[in-house]
Amino acid sequence: MALQRATSMLRSWLPVALLSAFALVLLGRLVQLQVLRHDEFAEAARSELDGSMVVYARRGSILDRNGNVLAMSVDTWDVYVRKDAWSGPTGTDHSAALATLLRISPVDLRTALEQSPSLNVRVATDVAFDLGKRVQAAEITGVTLTPNSARTYPEGDLAAGILGLIGADNVGLAGLEVAYNTVLQGTPGRAFFERDTTGEPIPFGRFVADEPEPGKDLVLTIDRRLQRMAEAALKGAIQKHRAAGGALIMMDPRTGEILALASSPTLAYSTLDLSNPEQLNLLRNPVVSDLYEPGSVMKTITAAAAIDKGVVTPGTSYYDSGSIDVYGVTIKNWDDQVYGYQTMTGVLQHSINTGSVFMVRALGQPDFHRYLDAFGFGQPTRIDMPGEAAGIIRTPAQPGYSPLDVLTQSFGQSISVTPLQVMAAYAAVINGGNLLTPHLVRAIAGPGGDYVEIKPEVVGHPITPRTSATVREMLHAVVEPGDYYYPGKPRDYTAGGKSGTANVPIPNGYDETQIASFIGFAPADDPEILILVKLDRNADLLTGTQAASPVFASLANQALHYLGVEPDDVRFVGSR
Amino acid sequence: MVSIPHPLRGVARPFERPAGPVRTGRWVAAGVAIIGVGAMLPVLQKSTLTSRGFLLQQHQAEQARLTSEIHLLEADVARLTSQERLERRAHQIGLIPAEDPLYIDVSVPGPEPAKIPAEFLPPREPTVEDPAPWWRSLLSLLPLPR
Repeated sequence: MALQRATSMLRSWLPVALLSAFALVLLGRLVQLQVLRHDEFAEAARSELDGSMVVYARRGSILDRNGNVLAMSVDTWDVYVRKDAWSGPTGTDHSAALATLLRISPVDLRTALEQSPSLNVRVATDVAFDLGKRVQAAEITGVTLTPNSARTYPEGDLAAGILGLIGADNVGLAGLEVAYNTVLQGTPGRAFFERDTTGEPIPFGRFVADEPEPGKDLVLTIDRRLQRMAEAALKGAIQKHRAAGGALIMMDPRTGEILALASSPTLAYSTLDLSNPEQLNLLRNPVVSDLYEPGSVMKTITAAAAIDKGVVTPGTSYYDSGSIDVYGVTIKNWDDQVYGYQTMTGVLQHSINTGSVFMVRALGQPDFHRYLDAFGFGQPTRIDMPGEAAGIIRTPAQPGYSPLDVLTQSFGQSISVTPLQVMAAYAAVINGGNLLTPHLVRAIAGPGGDYVEIKPEVVGHPITPRTSATVREMLHAVVEPGDYYYPGKPRDYTAGGKSGTANVPIPNGYDETQIASFIGFAPADDPEILILVKLDRNADLLTGTQAASPVFASLANQALHYLGVEPDDVRFVGSR
Repeated sequence: MVSIPHPLRGVARPFERPAGPVRTGRWVAAGVAIIGVGAMLPVLQKSTLTSRGFLLQQHQAEQARLTSEIHLLEADVARLTSQERLERRAHQIGLIPAEDPLYIDVSVPGPEPAKIPAEFLPPREPTVEDPAPWWRSLLSLLPLPR
């Protein structure tokens, strides 16, 4: 009886115990899933349901000073194919349909798919917007399009060396595109949303979006007409004088605005091939990053310093014997001529080396170097272009300095400068003594209509306005000497300027090649443009006066007519 | 003792019809209808929201397409007004670059600017006169000297 009761008890309690144990296991599992690992599974659920995507901001345009478009972005598509969707027997039809639309070979398309290790293969990049819409409308199985954008240049290769370029990720790689990348690029947005099984946002599901902020437009100081004139003039001069390259800069000396900037060799979108290592050099602009010895162009700076210090005047005279012996070295004139008694104006007119040495000796090394520093040599001009070089000036503080260096620096040797430094220093010489920061961007225009102008920045006053007026007159006398013809005289305008011809330095000396340059301004009494023409290694070995100054004369004449500047010196056909 | 309600003498009272079940049925029907409508309303709302959501997505896609096309048209305008294209067109119609400009110094004033024909002028805005106050009309009734 007792045994029977015990068996009955066991029969009734055993299921209870088993069920209780099972319930406990379930409970434990529930606690594990819903309490202990809650965060992990909640996150997994969210990741299944939540989608997000980057909403790209439209890159700003680059305009010239008159609002003409130099670079802008247009919407394009990247075309992707999902490989497994084309693995069946209909894959050939799909590839043929897509290849026809994209105008590519179906065989090439299929080969690209087979060779790619990815499941989703990008088969075309930057497909035109209209074409992309047609591909979308065709609804080809396995084909998806993602929006992209491409840079377009309505003026072709014009100013490519200034504008630079962007990479596949729409980030600036060179030129203004990289210098102003953060301004142009804007701020990409990001959208978070609940998605359906196809990955598309669920309408009226949870949706949080940071709206993208479009990039701002850059309004340059460059004038497209002047840029075209400058590029054509430089190209013509390089061909005529069989030069290896060159540079041409046009600036408003009153504001530091660069009106045109051409260099050769330079970046060209039409022939760009970044797989060619030689073309990678074109990503830097030689006008800001390459150094050269300026030669006699430097005599103007020496004269300005000596006159400003009061150690000479334009009429101070000395005797030129054709050479000077100093520190065991003979310094000769560039043309081996003897000019006899000469004024300081005559020194600039005939570009006499001994006259320049006379001025720097009167000034003294410490003051000369102080003036070079005040004119901005040996330091970047802080132009808004990447990769600017600072230049090199040998000073007593540097190892290897010789007292001879300061004498040769007075006529542009033993000193390395960038073309832009020469421009900035000359602008200060002729504009009343204000050293300005050269700049390429005039304003930044936001999509909401905000317009921030970039004002001229005066960074120093190396000389007085009186010295500036005096040196301007001396440079005018160079271009318009009165008793002989000078090829750098613009036909319809008064002008001033100075040429330079310097051998190219090599270790322990100079080679036989040269750099011929001329820097000039017009009109003479109230300069509106300052132009530097520089020809590298011109094979005809003509001097700066012979090769570069005529380019200045012609270009200054054209540019001032275009700018509507009233001619100083024209033939009037009628007067009443 | 139980008080039995007694009908008024001499007044014939009709038999009361069993109205209870009918009245209850109406209320139930009305309740069911209200509940039904109430139940259907969120469904209809949800349906409308969903269809509007899709419509909104379509409009957003359309807006994006139109924005892209505007950018393309801007690029077209820039290309068509590029210097190279303008020069090519100028050559096509026989224009050549100006050379050797001549300057004339004229001391007499130039002619008056040509008058624009009235048809091209902007329409003149009608002048709205202030209405006379109401009491001024009363003055005419008075025998005042004119």
